[in-house]
Amino acid sequence: MEGTITIVQEGRFQLSDERGVSHQFVLGRTALAETEQLRPLQSRQARVRVKYTDALGLISLVAHRIELLDPEPLEPVGA
Amino acid sequence: MNVHPRARDYPQSSLGEMIPDESELTAGVVIEPGKQYGFFTDTTVCIGCKACEVACKEWNNLPADNVGLTGHSYDNTGALSANTWRHVNFIEESSSKPLGGKSVRDNSQNAFQSGWLMMSDVCKHCHHAPCMEACPTGALFKTEFDTVVVQQDICNGCGYCVPACPFGVVEVSKADGKAHKCTLCYDRLKGGLEPACSKSCPTDSIQFGELSDLQARAKKRVAELHDRGVHTAYTYGAPDSPGATGDMQYLNAFFLLTDRPEAYNLPAAPTRPSNRIAPALTAGLATLAGLAVAAIALLAMPGEERRRGR
Repeated sequence: MEGTITIVQEGRFQLSDERGVSHQFVLGRTALAETEQLRPLQSRQARVRVKYTDALGLISLVAHRIELLDPEPLEPVGA
Repeated sequence: MNVHPRARDYPQSSLGEMIPDESELTAGVVIEPGKQYGFFTDTTVCIGCKACEVACKEWNNLPADNVGLTGHSYDNTGALSANTWRHVNFIEESSSKPLGGKSVRDNSQNAFQSGWLMMSDVCKHCHHAPCMEACPTGALFKTEFDTVVVQQDICNGCGYCVPACPFGVVEVSKADGKAHKCTLCYDRLKGGLEPACSKSCPTDSIQFGELSDLQARAKKRVAELHDRGVHTAYTYGAPDSPGATGDMQYLNAFFLLTDRPEAYNLPAAPTRPSNRIAPALTAGLATLAGLAVAAIALLAMPGEERRRGR
């Protein structure tokens, strides 16, 4: 799924896709990303591609891999 | 209705920026680091609307879990979990009161239509937090507002905090393998905002504020209820009251109850597991020493005596 990260809370984030539909994600335990990397993506409104699976017993998706679609150097958190 | 004088400075319904120290307008308290903050939940005015549950889920971006009907009254949330940090208990009671006397909700209606108790449960943000004492990585810490928070980037998901919590609050999420619980809206407090649950509570059953103020408010409310004939009212988690037992001293999130703690799914006498380490270790070492002495005595016996002893 591709879209923009709009909300980040700890390891949970919301992704708005091209149609403007929001999807809720939880960063999976084997994800190639850390919780502190999510907030800079949100501040930058970066477009990302998320590889995911369904979460068992939750209305959420588990993100396993997040790729930047328009790569450019990330600004440090709080900058 | 009391409106804070500062509220008149913001008459417009849509604001271009955040109101500085907004909590002063909504909760009557300015949030400052170094002071103790908490919740006082007055269960006698809870109407079970679950606005607190929804506000918590919304602000913290927590996914819905336990999808379906539990079959337990109007409670389809079930329990506090890694994804549910506020849970409204629905307790249907008969008119017989184990504590004696009439309950605040006793009336003449038919069975199953009377004696409703509602309570919005949450992490107690204990003064001596057992989850924090059990955490080997230091992921659980006391904030500058005297609340207890899990740092997600440090938590390794060992789960030691789960059995350490005497209230069954902390849970390790199956989705991300990390421990989660209420943060008392740490991010909101840092921004001068009242926690989402207490701000959304329409009856002020959940009150946020400085701990000393809340404790005084609770004491006054209990006295008021006693004067009105509700002699079963008491505080749970305030200093020198039930819930503050076993060296817990006090809970930053405490409650006003009208029935036994067990009726609300709360332990009658919570304790700090760390207090049991010394006696348990001593007992273990004493057992080991006793067995060693017995083995030495047995082996030291001459072979003839040993055979006769058999």
